[in-house]
Amino acid sequence: MQPQKSLGEKLQSLPKQVLYLILIVLTSVPLFFPVKVPNEPLESSIDLYASLMAVKPGETVLLASDWTNSTRGESLGQFNSVMRILMRHNVNVVLYSTGDAQAPRVAQDAIAKLNQERMATGKPEYKRWENFVSVGFFPNGEATVNGMGTSVRASFNGKKDFAPGRGLTDVYESPILKGREKVSDFPLLIVVTGSKTSNITVERLSGKVPIAFAVTGVMGPETGNFYQSQQIVGFASGLKGLYDLEGLMEDGVNTPDKSGNVVVKSSKYGPIPGFPGEKNDGQGRAYYPTLHFAVGLLILAVIIGNVGMFLSRAGGRK
Amino acid sequence: MNLILQSKVPNFWAQPFNSQGLWMGVIGGLIVGILLFLGLMFMPAQFRRPVVTFCTFIGGAYWVLLYIFPAPIDLQKTEMPTGPVESIGKWLTDANPVVVSISGTVTAFMLGLGIFSLLSIHLKRISRRQKDWVYSVVLLVSLVSMTFFGYADYISRQGPEGTKLDLQANWGLVNYGRDLLFDGLLQQMDAAMFSVIAFYILSAAYRAFRIRSVEATILLSTALLVILSLMGAVAFIWNGSVQHLANGNDFLLNFQLTEIAGWIRRTFETSSLRGIAFGVGIGALAMGLRIWLSLERTGGGA
Repeated sequence: MQPQKSLGEKLQSLPKQVLYLILIVLTSVPLFFPVKVPNEPLESSIDLYASLMAVKPGETVLLASDWTNSTRGESLGQFNSVMRILMRHNVNVVLYSTGDAQAPRVAQDAIAKLNQERMATGKPEYKRWENFVSVGFFPNGEATVNGMGTSVRASFNGKKDFAPGRGLTDVYESPILKGREKVSDFPLLIVVTGSKTSNITVERLSGKVPIAFAVTGVMGPETGNFYQSQQIVGFASGLKGLYDLEGLMEDGVNTPDKSGNVVVKSSKYGPIPGFPGEKNDGQGRAYYPTLHFAVGLLILAVIIGNVGMFLSRAGGRK
Repeated sequence: MNLILQSKVPNFWAQPFNSQGLWMGVIGGLIVGILLFLGLMFMPAQFRRPVVTFCTFIGGAYWVLLYIFPAPIDLQKTEMPTGPVESIGKWLTDANPVVVSISGTVTAFMLGLGIFSLLSIHLKRISRRQKDWVYSVVLLVSLVSMTFFGYADYISRQGPEGTKLDLQANWGLVNYGRDLLFDGLLQQMDAAMFSVIAFYILSAAYRAFRIRSVEATILLSTALLVILSLMGAVAFIWNGSVQHLANGNDFLLNFQLTEIAGWIRRTFETSSLRGIAFGVGIGALAMGLRIWLSLERTGGGA
């Protein structure tokens, strides 16, 4: 007969199946009950929102979409929020990708869904060619981004997109790229990424164009370096950054709500309006409560393991 | 038609559309490429290495020169450079789009190489009925069907009405096929694979994260504070309590969770990550030099 395990040993040897089951339940159930969690947006998220809102209507921005569905939990929500802001603000977008061959397709599908959402609420379609062009995928990101630093036009040479009534046409015939030869001709470059393309962009284009990022939570700490050194103007990191962005779209910055309360205050900016009453909630609202439960479970698991270890040690000394 | 040697404003590297110079350049490049290809194929093995070393050095030298050589400032397209320094700087800058295009084209060839390699390995496995050959069939069927529907979808969007297919209401069979395979299967499986990491993280944190030393205690408490600061509800309660207790005392307000986590991020996290980045950068520079000068024998060595 095996000796009975002490409490400390039991706490250290919980079956992993039990842990996995609890994780599945805790991360699944909250998805069905999206609640608004109180939140204070990070300064980097406010800066990202402010940079997006500072782009004048009718301008054209570069948007590097370097994510696929492997990081969609964070990246899709970030992409949707960035696009919603740009669409509502009537800003044109040049979409390109250096991270993954699947990325342009994934981004176009996301824009198509956002368009359906817009049209369902009676808003005009955000039209391909007139409002956005997809330049496609560049297999050698390092060289391409480096080339963009010299000439965007030369880097996009030969790239085509679908023009209405004309089929595949050179992207530089699109009205939104008219007169934009260098990267400095664009007011902002946004990189939504789940990979290292953000680093390449800073290395090659820093100082030539204002750069903003939307990155995964894993990449947040290293992106903080670029933000602290002011090489980028703002960034949203992971689910927290996404939730910040969705909240800012609802509340704006230094803007009173219906009851006269200013929800988000910032000493850096004047009033920046939000889009109250529109669909601002997305994956951030849906997944942020889940993050609380998942992280809570992680902390609890570490505590249980350590309490078990201390109990075992204490038992061994007796 | 778009060629990498083509430019509206002619320079050493590029000529206008359909010009004699452009065609001369294209044909000349093609001939040199074919000769180089055949030369490498039939060259005795002992001579290949110097050729590859030379090409690697020239390829690397361009990027080094582009970085360190002074480029002309605000030189207009139609303006001529004055003096040899400006001429060389312009020559290098003008070459950039061409070099980038060549680099992208060469990188794209790796895709073809990958498909060739996959086909040769898995067709061999199927023909010889090797262990788990059924998985090879699944892989090849997936490859062919994805290629077929992906390309058919692309072709269906080529016409003047192609943009209409951005709306699902206008889709046909191939568009639905592409959507099912790409969005319905590939992307979902991709996301599912990634989400499995959550189980590993939880299991590893439970079994391995033990406070056995002072360093581990500092690490754990720091991680805990930063993680908690990402939980809006926890930060809201913590900050609210501190603000209530502080009652206007500025010093005590420093103990708000977001303030503590922000301080950790700004001071320890970024500085340590910057240190790591410097180390990685120096390592990459050393490795880059070794590859450029063909001193590196492993990996891509000839």
